[in-house]
Amino acid sequence: MSYLSKAFLVAAALSLAACSGAGRFDDTSAGAAGYAGTAQDPSSPLYFQQTVGDRVLFTVDQSNLTREAMAILDGQAQWLMQNAGFNVVIEGHADEQGTREYNLALGARRANAVREYLVSKGVAASRLDTVSYGKERPLEICSEEACYAKNRRAVTVVSAGGLS
Amino acid sequence: MNTGQIISAAGHAGLILWAVLGGAFDTDPQPYEVTQVTAISAEDYAALIAADRAPDAVANVDTPDPPEAGAAPSLSSEADTPPEQSQPPATETAEPDPVPEPPEATPPEAEVSDAPPVQPSPPEETAVLVPEISERPQPRPAPRVAPEPVARPEPDVQIDDVDRVETAPDDSPEVVEQDSQETAREEAATRIVTEAEKAAAAAPAWSLRPRTRPAPRPEPESTVTAQQPAQETTPQVDDAAVDDAVAAALAAAGAGTGDTGTPAGPPLTAGEKDALRVAVQQCWNVGSLSSEALATTVVVTVSMSEDGRPEADSIRMTSYSGGSADAADRAFAAARRAIIRCGTNGYDLPFEKYEQWRNIEMTFNPERMRIK
Amino acid sequence: MTRYFLVLLMALLMPAAPILAQDGGPLRIEITEGVIEPLPYAVPDFVADSVSGREYARQITAVVASDLNGTGLFRQIPSDAHIARVTSFSSPIQFSDWKAINAQALITGAVSVDDVGKLVVQFRLYDIFAGQEIGQGLQFVGTQEGWRRMAHKVADQVYSRLTGETPYFDSRVVFISETGPKDARQKRLAIMDYDGANVTYLTDSQSLVLAPRFSPNGDRVLYTSYESGHPRIYVLDVASAGRRVLETREGSMSFSPRFAPDGRTVVYSLTQGGNTDLFAMDIASGRSQRLTTSPAIETAPSFSPDGRHIVFESDRSGTPQLYIMPATGGEATRISFGQGRYGTPVWSPRGDLIAFTKQSKGRFHIGVMRTDGSEERLLTASFLDEGPTWSPNGRVIMFTRETQGAQGISGLYSVDITGRNLRPVQTPTGASDPSWSPLQD
Repeated sequence: MSYLSKAFLVAAALSLAACSGAGRFDDTSAGAAGYAGTAQDPSSPLYFQQTVGDRVLFTVDQSNLTREAMAILDGQAQWLMQNAGFNVVIEGHADEQGTREYNLALGARRANAVREYLVSKGVAASRLDTVSYGKERPLEICSEEACYAKNRRAVTVVSAGGLS
Repeated sequence: MNTGQIISAAGHAGLILWAVLGGAFDTDPQPYEVTQVTAISAEDYAALIAADRAPDAVANVDTPDPPEAGAAPSLSSEADTPPEQSQPPATETAEPDPVPEPPEATPPEAEVSDAPPVQPSPPEETAVLVPEISERPQPRPAPRVAPEPVARPEPDVQIDDVDRVETAPDDSPEVVEQDSQETAREEAATRIVTEAEKAAAAAPAWSLRPRTRPAPRPEPESTVTAQQPAQETTPQVDDAAVDDAVAAALAAAGAGTGDTGTPAGPPLTAGEKDALRVAVQQCWNVGSLSSEALATTVVVTVSMSEDGRPEADSIRMTSYSGGSADAADRAFAAARRAIIRCGTNGYDLPFEKYEQWRNIEMTFNPERMRIK
Repeated sequence: MTRYFLVLLMALLMPAAPILAQDGGPLRIEITEGVIEPLPYAVPDFVADSVSGREYARQITAVVASDLNGTGLFRQIPSDAHIARVTSFSSPIQFSDWKAINAQALITGAVSVDDVGKLVVQFRLYDIFAGQEIGQGLQFVGTQEGWRRMAHKVADQVYSRLTGETPYFDSRVVFISETGPKDARQKRLAIMDYDGANVTYLTDSQSLVLAPRFSPNGDRVLYTSYESGHPRIYVLDVASAGRRVLETREGSMSFSPRFAPDGRTVVYSLTQGGNTDLFAMDIASGRSQRLTTSPAIETAPSFSPDGRHIVFESDRSGTPQLYIMPATGGEATRISFGQGRYGTPVWSPRGDLIAFTKQSKGRFHIGVMRTDGSEERLLTASFLDEGPTWSPNGRVIMFTRETQGAQGISGLYSVDITGRNLRPVQTPTGASDPSWSPLQD
């Protein structure tokens, strides 16, 4: 079996995992979790998640990017440029203080803010998809600002692209 | 016309249209087709749960077994002949409790001039029971709304429409009173208190500026005053009280001189009318009326018998305004219940003025009760 | 004559007399203050002529009582306080016995199973103090499995005859059933009777589903599902549970769908490029039309009952507020001006009020206001209340209440529009996003 075909199988398995995203609950994306790449491998999703940083946080009701967020997104853009084989789903989230449908729209705004920033840094728009979960998928579950702050987020989930 | 008015006009037009259409649908005396009852049996439901495959599930839900051919709409409203409501005369007479006639004669005369008129003033206990009321009286949420707030009754007291103090057998030996159980009116607030308002009152989110210094509470007197109010009120000469006294005196002279043989007497004083009004409104419960019935004023006439009891069969609605005939019917039913219920033992009306109150016209105007 | 003279004389004698006799007419008084309390009523167990009928009779009586008690407008007098026994449906009523226990209304009924196995339920309603029947006796015939609906029908009749409101007990609620912890919650579309009985699930828990809405005649449900990976609006046929996606535009997400009163149009939110606007779609053709164009979030639309206006939520002013616009789009007028954030407006079926969610000072409220924004009243207050839905008669509001903290769960509550009678609706699991059906046929 050639390297090529092996790579193909792995990629296919990965893309399948990524496709089951509808039922995915946690933020450690299916792509990253399913891929055994190590955090030391700079081209692995795990490296992206842990070292580059896969998420940015927002202040209450806001969807504009903070200085820290932009720094993280600069790293994301760089990584994505270097690893062209990966596609991205940007998940927008809100904390639980707000009505369900408004928060869905707010999450979409946040995801889009990230998307536009990455595009502005040269990432091809065709590689970027967005989805909003509103307040449906909190990462932290306490009802305090400490948790809310972590839930107001946009998470960049990478998956091996092009084949799915 | 600004946009607000346009919106408002359009909204109202819509409302009217809705009312018309809705009304049109309502007037259709739709016979219920109960054969169409859709339900899921317990077995099917259990199977559903077990299977945990919802989408197909509903196929089972809607199993309206089709009406057999020719089966008529299964609801018949003509139903059966109403049973005659023939009241055995025995019960009719038995219904008034074996209560001695209202003790008109019993109050010692000295008290007549002393106390302000009949007005069933809030019992002193009430005042003593609620010292917790702060400067800004915040109505507590109570399951009942009434013109005057009623403190939560003591636990072993029965709920009644009026406060009734237990009569101790040896209380006033010269007065013959029936042994009545102590009752109290159900706890009531003067208006509806929603959860939102409660929260506002209890919210620690903001705090009042600390008061400079608690003023010395001038309160002790209220615990002592049990007997005082009468004295306190006498100085400020109450017109109504005077009228009462005068009227009573005149009535005593003029009683029985009417040509009909029943006493005509002078017109009722404001105090007497007030007492009647208060008595009726204690039983006027609008709590179960529709919003529309609550916007309907009804005028009701009633004939009274000489003992102060309303003649139930004589109660009629003479006019109404503000709502539909249907709403007026419900409003009238509530008014009728009020008149009959609080008049079960006879209203406290001066016998010597019987001709004055033989026929009464009561206007029940719920305007102030709407969102209370 | 003598009497008139006497009256005149007295008028002269007593200039202070505030009221003069009204020339021989009736005494006139005006009653403006009353009490607001539940109406005491009695409903002895319906009579039955067979053993099986007796079991149905007992259960039907209990459901009738539960419906009436649940309104907060009536108070049931427990049967152990009854003096009279109703042993036959057609025997005369001893009004005095019911008066004695202060029952103001009395419901009697009979249950039997006929030759072909159908359940027959009859009832009568009496005004005890007036000593007469209210309306006519009625009879319902249906399947035995449908006994609960027949009980609701009886209660609807009683409710309507006593209050003057149109009924609402024979109705259903579509909602989201919730299980699992807060950060891995599973949600399923479910339907139940308005009182929480007969829960049936319409979807599995594979895909996140949100905010269902009944069609105007109750035959279909609109909702949002993540089935495709993105939020999209679906329409589901209640009888067959068959469903189809309505909005499939690439790179977009759609949510917050609501039927127009004609049942043919859906208004919903569509998000493109991070911006959420309102669109209207003709269900049959799938053609959609944009209703708003602002860069702000526009969502949570609701039609006026006449179908001519839409009230919705927008943050175009900086915070979410309520606006009304023509159903075809166009200039919108802001109607909410209180302190705080307003969302999820829902037009009352009567057309006179708009229910909404309000967020203020860290708490959530369900409130109502008139359609011009005036007379705002908050009915509830808690850590998180949202998503009001109206009973078919516009008298009761059901909504979602979520408790605080890591163990927080969602449940359904209902409240009378007066703000009284706040109570939980029993559901077998956690529940959210209720939508009340119209009254069933």
